[in-house]
Amino acid sequence: MLEVEHLGVGYGDLQVVWDVSFKVPAGSLVAIIGSNGAGKTTTLRALMNLLPALTGSIEFKGESIVGVPTHRIVELGLVLIPESRATFASLSVADNLELGAYTKRARAARSKTLGEVYDVFPRLAERKSQLAGTLSGGERQMLAIGKSLMALPEMLVLDEPSMGLAPIIVEDTFNEIKGIRDRGVSVLMVEQHIEATLELVDYAYVLELGQVVIEGSSTELMTDQRVREAYLSLQ
Amino acid sequence: MTQLVVQSALSGLLVGGMYGLVALGLALAFGVLNVLNVAHGELVMIGGYAAFFLFSEVGVDPLLSLPLVFVILFIFGMGLYQLLFRFIVRFDIETRIKNSLLISFGLVLILQAVAVFLFTGDDRTIVTGYSSNALVIGIVRIPWIRLAGLLLAVVAAFSLEWLLNRTTFGHSIRATSEDWSLAALTGIDVRRVYMIAFAISAALAGLAGSMVSLGYSVSPSIGLSWTLKALIVIVFAGLGSMRGIVVAGMLLGLIEGLSSVWVGNAYRGVVALVVFLLVLSVRPQGLFGRGSGAHV
Repeated sequence: MLEVEHLGVGYGDLQVVWDVSFKVPAGSLVAIIGSNGAGKTTTLRALMNLLPALTGSIEFKGESIVGVPTHRIVELGLVLIPESRATFASLSVADNLELGAYTKRARAARSKTLGEVYDVFPRLAERKSQLAGTLSGGERQMLAIGKSLMALPEMLVLDEPSMGLAPIIVEDTFNEIKGIRDRGVSVLMVEQHIEATLELVDYAYVLELGQVVIEGSSTELMTDQRVREAYLSLQ
Repeated sequence: MTQLVVQSALSGLLVGGMYGLVALGLALAFGVLNVLNVAHGELVMIGGYAAFFLFSEVGVDPLLSLPLVFVILFIFGMGLYQLLFRFIVRFDIETRIKNSLLISFGLVLILQAVAVFLFTGDDRTIVTGYSSNALVIGIVRIPWIRLAGLLLAVVAAFSLEWLLNRTTFGHSIRATSEDWSLAALTGIDVRRVYMIAFAISAALAGLAGSMVSLGYSVSPSIGLSWTLKALIVIVFAGLGSMRGIVVAGMLLGLIEGLSSVWVGNAYRGVVALVVFLLVLSVRPQGLFGRGSGAHV
């Protein structure tokens, strides 16, 4: 579904991501793991063309999306939920969800998708007219996910979905992500919560200082000595 | 004396409606694109000339030519965006504001010079069969052509509110002004939203210009004073309510009108500015603004 090869990204004169390659096969759940400053968010922003890719190739469904305008990438079916500020605080829950189906393809199915989202997230239905800025952290996360589902993604990318959430809500969120994959949407998630993430995903890449240092299936990584010592604080 | 005071107050309210209409367009451009277009008053001037020549050369009544002037300035606004302002929206907000000040100031000089060349520096006013008709209530006289300007401002404010709150496109405009990168991630063509918002801003200026050339007068140099009034109204009202902007405009006009009775015409502008500064120091987010005014 998504193939990234030798991606290089920078901000002005500062190169932050060096020669990063990863794949998300259709229907799979893949993670990019790394601590702060590893270059995870930068990679995702380059994926969506919010930042220009300096080098490398990005192919979605077999076609290059390098330089393609962000809104067109969303129309193609690749949707990113950014790390923070993933909802429009000045708009209501209902308006946020409706806006989520802005692309032509999604708009055609808007009322049907809206009904499905309200079924999966009844809390959002309860707070339909409430301004998104007044929701709690967990509710805003729910809204962010619901809004992204409104766009009828073929692949969903999540930037640190567990950020700032209470552990119980993180568990719910991860279950929700698993449910999304089970419904046929390919998922790429970027995370710091390494242990819980490895238990969830099929395959993972470890990013350090802008480069992929280890990759493998989740079982491989959970037993990998370097990963255990550096990230899982185990011996 | 009473007659003078009431008449001055009413005249002030009427011209204040025009201040509000001009401010609506400027607020839209600034609120959505974070671009400060000081040539906004020149767009009013162009609208005024468009209405004037549609009347004097083609014989179209200025009230009937309003939709046409709207379209002309809408297209002109799209063109200005594509030629100039498109390039500064790639920057962050602070840089956008600074660059847009520079660019639009250059635009002021160019547009004024072209207008003088094309139209000469003479004042022009559209005089129709109904221009001297007025609504007379007791001791006051309300010219219909100026009342029409105020009504247009009210209609424009309600229409903008409807657009922004009740249509999907309007939501996409609000989304883009809140967070353009999230808007792009939502599948919104941000460049197109910017262009259309700017075009609407120019079209509103054009409508104001029509009413200015009908109810007052237009000449190449009127631009900057309208822009200044619009800026004062926007800071007075705060961003966040279209209705609030028209009300603030009328309030400014009222204050100017009343003060001119005691302070004389030369100083009416000063009184308005003083009141404006007082309001800002007590309520920096403006009379109707949302938020704490931290970013003012």
